[in-house]
Amino acid sequence: MGANMGPLKDQTVANRASVHRGVSGGLFDPIFRNASFIAALLVLVLLAGIMISMIVGGWPAFREMGFGFLTSSVWDTQNDKYGAWPAIVGTLSTAVIALVIGLPLSLGIAVYLTQLAPPWLKQPVATTIELLAAVPSIIYGMWGLFVFVPLFATYVQQPVSRIVEGMPVVGTIFYAASPSGLGILSAGFILAFMIIPFIASITRDMLEQIPSVLRESAYGIGATTWEVVRYVLVPQAGISIIGAVMLGLGRALGETMAVTFVVGNANRLSASIMDPGSTIASRIANEFNEAIGLQLNALIALGCILFFVTFVVLVIARLLVARVKRY
Amino acid sequence: MLATLEPGLQTHNSAASVRIAVKGLDFYYNEHKALKNINLDFRDRHVTALIGPSGCGKSTLLRIFNRIYSLYPEQRATGEVLLDGQNIIGNGIDINELRSRIGMVFQKPTPFPMSIYDNVAFGIRLYEKPAKSELDDRVEAALRRSALWDEVKDKLKMSGMGLSGGQQQRLCIARTIAQKPEVILFDEPTSALDPISTGKIEDLLEQLKSEFTIVIVTHNMQQAARISAYTAFMYLGEVIEFDTTNNIFLNPGKKQTQDYVTGRFG
Amino acid sequence: MSETVIPLLQPAPQPRVRRVRKARRVADRMMRIIAAGFTLMAVTVLFWILGMLIVKGVSGLSLATFTQTLPGPGTEGGGLANAIVGSIILTFLGIAIATPIGVLAGTYLAEYGGSSKLANLIRFINDILLSAPSILIGLFVYVILVEPFGGYSGWAGGVALGIIAIPVIVRTTEDMLRLVPASLREAGAALGAPPSIVITSITWRAAKAGMVTGILLALARIAGETAPLIFTALNNSFWFSPTLLGGVSNLPVTIYQFASAPYDNWQQLAWAGSLIITASILLISTVARRLVRGSK
Repeated sequence: MGANMGPLKDQTVANRASVHRGVSGGLFDPIFRNASFIAALLVLVLLAGIMISMIVGGWPAFREMGFGFLTSSVWDTQNDKYGAWPAIVGTLSTAVIALVIGLPLSLGIAVYLTQLAPPWLKQPVATTIELLAAVPSIIYGMWGLFVFVPLFATYVQQPVSRIVEGMPVVGTIFYAASPSGLGILSAGFILAFMIIPFIASITRDMLEQIPSVLRESAYGIGATTWEVVRYVLVPQAGISIIGAVMLGLGRALGETMAVTFVVGNANRLSASIMDPGSTIASRIANEFNEAIGLQLNALIALGCILFFVTFVVLVIARLLVARVKRY
Repeated sequence: MLATLEPGLQTHNSAASVRIAVKGLDFYYNEHKALKNINLDFRDRHVTALIGPSGCGKSTLLRIFNRIYSLYPEQRATGEVLLDGQNIIGNGIDINELRSRIGMVFQKPTPFPMSIYDNVAFGIRLYEKPAKSELDDRVEAALRRSALWDEVKDKLKMSGMGLSGGQQQRLCIARTIAQKPEVILFDEPTSALDPISTGKIEDLLEQLKSEFTIVIVTHNMQQAARISAYTAFMYLGEVIEFDTTNNIFLNPGKKQTQDYVTGRFG
Repeated sequence: MSETVIPLLQPAPQPRVRRVRKARRVADRMMRIIAAGFTLMAVTVLFWILGMLIVKGVSGLSLATFTQTLPGPGTEGGGLANAIVGSIILTFLGIAIATPIGVLAGTYLAEYGGSSKLANLIRFINDILLSAPSILIGLFVYVILVEPFGGYSGWAGGVALGIIAIPVIVRTTEDMLRLVPASLREAGAALGAPPSIVITSITWRAAKAGMVTGILLALARIAGETAPLIFTALNNSFWFSPTLLGGVSNLPVTIYQFASAPYDNWQQLAWAGSLIITASILLISTVARRLVRGSK
């Protein structure tokens, strides 16, 4: 818009328009322009502010523990020793589980909505999926804790534990020492449902943007719906679907309340995804209000780690999604 | 006698058998009737052109022959379209198999997001499991027949989307003929191309008609005159006149046809 | 294949019998069933959640829910009155902070920034903030407002919610302003109106429904936010100070604290609160969706 502003600088004309509006002359224009510019800059200031405050707030912990903060598994409030490793592992593993479960579901939903659903059903189903994104995190936590977790304990954890007990590798990863239903895997499941609406609706948009003539010509040589989707549509949407996945990953990494309800909040690291654990966000939410001194700094330092991990993931996601949109 | 004035006009062999017979065909978009009582015969290994002003239903008609319209629930056809005697718009037709027998080339080039080689091999692989060497031969033969081989033989692994528009369209033709269909439908295949690419595609059509039954929708009257043996003139969802291309262009039976082919309307 | 040999006249090709291989048909069928099944699964989860809220939440609703304050540990009865009022105040405070900033920033991006490097950077960073974890925004506000000013406050809570709302409003404002045809701006400019007047009295007016939708979506987004409030407004069992200093009671943190408490009435109130908050949010989202569809 900047280009066509030149001719408008004519002061008399501007003044006359302003008289009609009762604002003071040529002043309103630069004020408005600068105000909107400052507001836009504030967006940059916010991100920078978050980054700086995390670094500054977490600095004492980083200084005290050194590099060991990242690698240590000790979280000892009595002796003021803190290590982020279990929370980092918990964050990554819940997010990865969420993707492993959520991605196929999201793709299936996107394919259903764009290729298979009868027209009258499309809009209501799409709206329902989008409303899944509007449900607050804490409500997912309630559903997870009171509905999902008991069912998961009875129908998944207990039978699976009985089967895999004593087996090598599988017995380590899937055995629940105390099958309460809480744990890393449960958190991953809940997260999966929370990221589905995001991945599914971006993927749906991408599939819809593909010109119908490409779809028709793939059908035109006798391909089945599955083949059209598998070999033509998904590769065509390709990189932006990866972007959508990264966006979902960004969500899953920082999700707090739902995870806090179901992850079990154990400070130690277990090799089994059926066991309770914690994530960076759940650890912060759990301990923050009682934390003092170095513990507080350690929690903010955890936030700092979370910031940089999600920042990198989201930057990649936005670059991938944007790259395709330009085409 | 008049035919000598237009040396480009195609000869036709009225003894050729009918490959597709359309009988009493109606077509609807929702409640809107887009085609009314179409009756046409398409002869084996001849080019038939469908001409008419925009919106006359010629593309709609073309899209019935391989049932692309079936992708859209709001579209339906009634009547009979007989391919070698079998009604292809009836129930119990395997649509995918039908589409592999009736190829289609669209207005805009539609390379798939895969390599040039895989684009051509895609359709073959769907229905056959040839050995690697045979597949290579089939791909090469199809690319040669579509006059693309020399331009792409060194970059078969490159994405098909990196080619120029004219090359992409010839790639789509190669992809279609590699499947060895019986009928090929062309939906304004040159309207998005420059004159040189258009010329190449027309040469190609000339060669393909010895082997395939071809139906082409075109806006370009000269193109229809140059390449087709039969022409149907359509207007407002009806076939106004269907005859040999010679007759349609030189000796039309209806005034509307004459007005259209001489450029006085549409 | 050394030279192009084109067979000119062949006998008429016999229709070859082709069969769609069974494996292909099965794969296609399976894909259809799986895709539909996955969709059904996601839809089921939403209705399951709603059903759960209605079944468990309605029994906790009574007049007292809306008139009494949060019960203390071990006390009977109680209600959510202060939490509901607190939530409304915090949410609207957040929107009041975010709306002018978000609308102005979105206006800058759509009307002034063009595709300059700076504008593109702001767009990019805004998109990142849009999906940044809300817990980090809570921590940020804790560091800049709670710690230095010596305590939790409703103001800090409102600022945290506002920061979450800003990117939503920036994004929708820009998108909606871009939908306004350039001819409208040109017509305004041709009358001699300076850009600020063209924007405020023509472009904004033309994009009004879309911009309101953006604000509603931001409202729906922050109304249920819990994590950032834990570090800022915290909670309060009693009526909070009208100055909003000190803890301000709100629904999300109340639900968090009450849900797994050992008292029946606390749990009941947590369910009632969940129902109230989810119903309001889904209502706002649905209205926003209607608006945007109506304006198109």
